[in-house]
Amino acid sequence: MEIWRLPISASQRGKLISAGYTSLSSLSSISSSDLARELNVSESEAMNILKVASHSRGSETSNASCSIVEGAQSAWDMLHDEESLMHITTSSADLDNILGGGIHCKEVTEIGGVPGIGKTQLGIQIAVNVQIPNDFGGLGGNSIYIDTEGSFMVERAFQIAEACIEDMSEYNRFLRKDFQECKIKMQPQDILENIFYFRICSYTEQIALINYLDKFLSEHKDVKVIVVDSVTFHFRQDFDDMALRTRVLSGMALKLMNLAKRFSLAVVLLNQVTTKHTEASFQLALALV
Amino acid sequence: MTPQSLLQLTSQKCTTGCPILDRLLYGGIPCDSITEIVAESGSGKTQICLQLSLHAQLPVSHGGLAASSLYLHTEFPFPFRRLHQLCLSFRSSNAHHFPVNDNPCDRIFVQSVHTADHLLEIMSKTDPFIENSKNQVPVRLIVIDSIAALFRSDFDNTPVELKRRSSLFFKISSKLKALAKRFNLAVLVTNQVVDLVGPNEGINGLRIGNLVCLHTSGRRVCPALGLAWANCVNSRLFLSRNEEVIREENEKSNGQSCDFVKKKMRKLYVVFAPHLPETSCEFEITREGLFGVER
Repeated sequence: MEIWRLPISASQRGKLISAGYTSLSSLSSISSSDLARELNVSESEAMNILKVASHSRGSETSNASCSIVEGAQSAWDMLHDEESLMHITTSSADLDNILGGGIHCKEVTEIGGVPGIGKTQLGIQIAVNVQIPNDFGGLGGNSIYIDTEGSFMVERAFQIAEACIEDMSEYNRFLRKDFQECKIKMQPQDILENIFYFRICSYTEQIALINYLDKFLSEHKDVKVIVVDSVTFHFRQDFDDMALRTRVLSGMALKLMNLAKRFSLAVVLLNQVTTKHTEASFQLALALV
Repeated sequence: MTPQSLLQLTSQKCTTGCPILDRLLYGGIPCDSITEIVAESGSGKTQICLQLSLHAQLPVSHGGLAASSLYLHTEFPFPFRRLHQLCLSFRSSNAHHFPVNDNPCDRIFVQSVHTADHLLEIMSKTDPFIENSKNQVPVRLIVIDSIAALFRSDFDNTPVELKRRSSLFFKISSKLKALAKRFNLAVLVTNQVVDLVGPNEGINGLRIGNLVCLHTSGRRVCPALGLAWANCVNSRLFLSRNEEVIREENEKSNGQSCDFVKKKMRKLYVVFAPHLPETSCEFEITREGLFGVER
């Protein structure tokens, strides 16, 4: 509700607007003495204006964010939202510290490295750790694992799942005394069942799958992380039209960001590295940056 | 598009023929993935390839794939005589699996490859070839020995040529992986080494995989074809050979004495693999083949 709708005299309205108070929410946090000083009116008049304003606000359906543009959020609300979101732990305290608590939801995280450094291992670990139940500080969600290179080994995922459950049992024993209530009911097979595994063999399949994820995620609301391993492998072949490749890649990145924001999940992209030739020296750089 | 159920996705392995090596590799060479063997010449790469082509014919209950294999070789000549020798010892130790007049060499299809484009051409023909083989003994193992030979002479050392070479790597690897997935094949590729000269810093000290440095014959080496090809394979194994001088105690008539004997020490290392820890084991090459040694 705007100031001009308030049942106050025209001169008071004029003074409010020229002082910069154009909406009701701007009057919500000011005291009557401050308002009196700003408007150059008596304090009782200021108190009257505030009372009228709070009445009008109360009669409306209270919307926490009286915003100017539909769908916009104030930065304060956004900070609250971000702080309340949980992070996905990577099982390494140091790495979690660098990431600010773990892998963030609603964000796209890119992890790159040389072959053999542990990208796939980290990807599998994240796909398992997202399933840690809420009681143990995890998200208790499912995961989507998109494998473009064929390096996902089920036996390795099984090992990681077993270790995760052992970890949880130890944490259990350490912090809680009542075993019977908090017994871990998860089995490694359950963890593997909650990983939706897609194997793709060409870039067209990759694009098709990312487009399909929209529909898949609306049917499976409990997916909390998407791991793509690795996102650039199929694009490093010879492309006749480089402009097409750039367009396709940026379209894919945009889509993933949208999915992350809309469904409140984390997207983890694993990337390869390549050598960049700069002024007769060689440096490592992430592929297709 | 439906996700695959992980519980039904088991990866089959092809035994190497030696229980010690199999233990190191958690069963053998995995299917649906590309395994690379890197070594300098004379270390035993071709021996392992021939041995695997024979052992792939064993039934699944004994660790094999009950399959024939496609052997693409780039270095001439193909070691027919050595294959025949290995075949004889293979047949004698596994006689109960094969009928009397059977020759395991019949199930190894050999094709020579000359250039990288020739390889791409062959791979496009491999699809129908493997399809047809399903009627008799299906092809489940492809060996490329060696991939380095295809690329080391055709390309100059300019950035443009290197870029073209890299995109060829990804094309070949992508096709191999698609084949491997479609027919559930194991793919084995061998690679050569290049000497690493210079300080161990910067891009020269680039560490790929677990091992800090690869050493063979007293030299520091790194696998050929660079970082681009390293991104294309799923697992990498390294064979090294060194001459070691060891003391050997000898009992002689006039009391004990010790001799210093030069021994050839051969080791197999796992450089990187998604399912294997960083381990190594010693092996030796005999007339019957390549076998691990328990120390």
